Amino acid sequence: MAARSDTAAAVKDIEAYKYGFVTDIESDRAPKGLNEDIVRFISAKKNEPAWLLEWRLKAFRYWLTLADLEPAWAKLHYPKIDYQDAYYYAAPKQKAALKSMDEVDPQLVETYKKLGIPLLEQQIMSGVAVDAVFDSVSVATTYKKKLNELGVIFCPISEAVQKHPELVQKYLGSVVPVADNFFATLNSAVFTDGSFVYIPKGLRCPMELSTYFRINEKNTGQFERTLIIADEGSYVSYLEGCTAPQRDENQLHAAVVELVALDDAEIKYSTVQNWFPGDKDGKGGIYNFVTKRGACRGKNSKIMWTQVETGSAITWKYPSCILQGDNSVGEFYSVAITNNRQQADTGTKMIHIGRNTRSKIISKGISAGKSSNTYRGLVRVQGKADGARNYTQCDSLLIGSACAAHTVPYIENRNPTAQTEHEATTSKISEDQLFYCLQRGMTEEEAVSLIVNGFCKEVLQTLPMEFAVEAQKLVGISLEGSVG
Amino acid sequence: MVATGLLDHPFKEAYASKAGALPGATHAWVDGLRQTARALLNTAGLPGPKTEAFIFTPVSDLAKIPFIPAASADDVDVRDVPLNVPRIAGASRIVLVNGVLNAALSDNIAVEGLRVESLKQVLARDTLSVKPLLGGLAASASLPLVALNTAYMADGLVIRAGKNFAGAMLHVISIGAAGAEPVAFHPRNLVALEPGAQLTLIETHVGLPGQNYLTNPVTEISLAENARLKRYVSVAEDDDAFHFATTSVALSAHSTFNAFHAGLGGGKVRQEVRAAFLGTGSSAIVNGVYALSGKQHHDFTTAMDHAVPHTTSSQLVKGVVDGQSRAVFQGRVLVDRDAQKTDARQLHKAMFLAKGPAVDCKPELEIFADDVQCAHGAATGELDENHLFYLMARGIDRDTARALLVSGFLEDVLESIGDEQVREAFSALVQGWLKRRAMRRAA
Repeated sequence: MAARSDTAAAVKDIEAYKYGFVTDIESDRAPKGLNEDIVRFISAKKNEPAWLLEWRLKAFRYWLTLADLEPAWAKLHYPKIDYQDAYYYAAPKQKAALKSMDEVDPQLVETYKKLGIPLLEQQIMSGVAVDAVFDSVSVATTYKKKLNELGVIFCPISEAVQKHPELVQKYLGSVVPVADNFFATLNSAVFTDGSFVYIPKGLRCPMELSTYFRINEKNTGQFERTLIIADEGSYVSYLEGCTAPQRDENQLHAAVVELVALDDAEIKYSTVQNWFPGDKDGKGGIYNFVTKRGACRGKNSKIMWTQVETGSAITWKYPSCILQGDNSVGEFYSVAITNNRQQADTGTKMIHIGRNTRSKIISKGISAGKSSNTYRGLVRVQGKADGARNYTQCDSLLIGSACAAHTVPYIENRNPTAQTEHEATTSKISEDQLFYCLQRGMTEEEAVSLIVNGFCKEVLQTLPMEFAVEAQKLVGISLEGSVG
Repeated sequence: MVATGLLDHPFKEAYASKAGALPGATHAWVDGLRQTARALLNTAGLPGPKTEAFIFTPVSDLAKIPFIPAASADDVDVRDVPLNVPRIAGASRIVLVNGVLNAALSDNIAVEGLRVESLKQVLARDTLSVKPLLGGLAASASLPLVALNTAYMADGLVIRAGKNFAGAMLHVISIGAAGAEPVAFHPRNLVALEPGAQLTLIETHVGLPGQNYLTNPVTEISLAENARLKRYVSVAEDDDAFHFATTSVALSAHSTFNAFHAGLGGGKVRQEVRAAFLGTGSSAIVNGVYALSGKQHHDFTTAMDHAVPHTTSSQLVKGVVDGQSRAVFQGRVLVDRDAQKTDARQLHKAMFLAKGPAVDCKPELEIFADDVQCAHGAATGELDENHLFYLMARGIDRDTARALLVSGFLEDVLESIGDEQVREAFSALVQGWLKRRAMRRAA
């Protein structure tokens, strides 16, 4: 059985489980719709200080003025979203009452095995309650202790608001302002949770930080807010894994991620996104409208985004770098795969402000089925960015004659000493390569998976190792059913 | 887009009184085109920076300038073609003053198989022969500047080459000449080549010095099977002038369109070339150079629309920017679902000659077919120090070395001009620009 149908079946099963075991949700859910009371309700639930409530309300009032200004410039087609027809706050759902891994649907286990996710993560992600949760708590605390000793703060943002309000207040909204864009403004008003990371001066964070362990919480939050601060001379690698198929259908997901790198600091942010992409006919799936931006505030700082986007019915995502500090570096590596009726409009923005700033963009788009895949990027070199350097490469691969691939780069140079370069190509899988693989006994699907992996290699290599393995398999799975 | 108050725009006021006098007003279909265009302008206004196609070159500020319609050619005292317009051997001259054909300055063209007429005269006579062309290739609905032209076009050229016409060279010289007040003119040119016909069209756009005018020409070109058109355009308007030109080409099977555009001056210039590949085996080359100084703004916008299988487009554009100038390049390649085996290439390179100019580019690929070869590249930067060093190490002084390298950078594109006398004339224009720059620097 094809892994895709496995995944679909698994998703179906999880749906069944969710409704089977979750009880008494209503009491902890704010009423449907969005108004000031809901914003106050969320803030009160989180026991937030007055300044944050004010901040949320300011965002909400501004968002109301944007009613007709939902971004329409992307090459995406979707029915108008009714923002009043959604729940903006639901308390964490009851844990599913599975006793152990043995009770999880074997097909689901099989799917995870295929993805190469370790057993522990399988447990966490499949929402197995007792053991797994128990385990994960202990795991989390083990790491937490070690991280605490080093001075690393890594906790849900709602906890950070309580424990480190000075840091949150200083940096929240400093990279993605409240009035940034329609979805970011909405997120500012109603964000429910997310991660907060602070790496102290001079520390090279010894382990990869990841959002895996909170995947259960994620079920409730459509609006996460992540804030990562790397103080002077520090380094952190952060993984955002949405490797489990999301369960909810046609759910709006509008997250905001802000990164701040001070002098000589480096942040590496990797995402493997595999939200539920909807079925073959484009029914269901996640609408992923995400604002991700990093500010290289300090000199010699570096921010590197790597993304592997295989899921979501709609992806609207432009992880960006504001290169303020002299000699700062921004990098963006992206693989975006769309199949069936998926639509992706993704890319990056590199804003060169400081001197000798450098940016590199490598984007690989693969479209199959009836999907549409757009790279949209901006490289802007401001007048004072002497010696700035940009290199952009966008390659698109088309599989099948019913898909579409677009490239829309904007290059704005205001400095004579800056150099910008942009290259883009579009082509299909070479018949020769395919023939070569088939001749050696591979099936067409295996051959396509191999060739596509080769096409994306440059990007996949930048992922942390465990992730890279997983991503490679994902590439194969996402394209299943696209050939033959 | 929000209406920009075009309702009280001088175009409307000044032109309303003349509407009845515009050519073709008595023909319902021409009048219909104008009415539609006017309605579009009145509701949408002129495009500002929020309109995607005009983000880098907004034209909404035109509404602030009280343009009046250009008078007829007889009213303007232009006795000679400006001296800086080259005389091209073998080419017949056709002179337009403020968009109106000036017979006195034009050569008499009597070649069998070729008809060159004024649009005004054609519309006064029998409009049916131009009905498929006029408004058929450049639509007002999606192109606001075409709408502006359609609403107020007063004259232009109709050039028609018969079946298997063996070729001729026409040199169209367009002169802008305002009086005390800023004038606007909207020439509408129609070019039709019948099957197998060949034609070379040279266009020189100049203005009399110190004059404030807007020229907004629209050229619709129809190429039948196996027709071959070469078109060389140079724009060197006055520093206070606005020049927005839209060219729309429809290519039938195995026809070729070979275009070269030079942008060498004007306050705000936009050269937009749109090609629709409607027949298999058709191909287009759209190349260009620009050299800007002072506060000049030059926009080169192309749209290659590949609708059928086996078509080819190729674009190479290079430019240098000096002073406080601004260069824009937007190149869009669209490959439709059916257009398998399309080969589309595009390259844009801009070189900074000073601190102060700005370069914006937006190369765009929109691909709906899988078996295609499409690529684009865009680069901006300054002169390579290593190249300078190489020349200076051989005893060439810095200024000469720079001039040599800049000239080489642009000559590379000029080489693509097939007709030698045209290549020389265009090369001389570029060299003249470089010389003037050297003199400015010396002074």
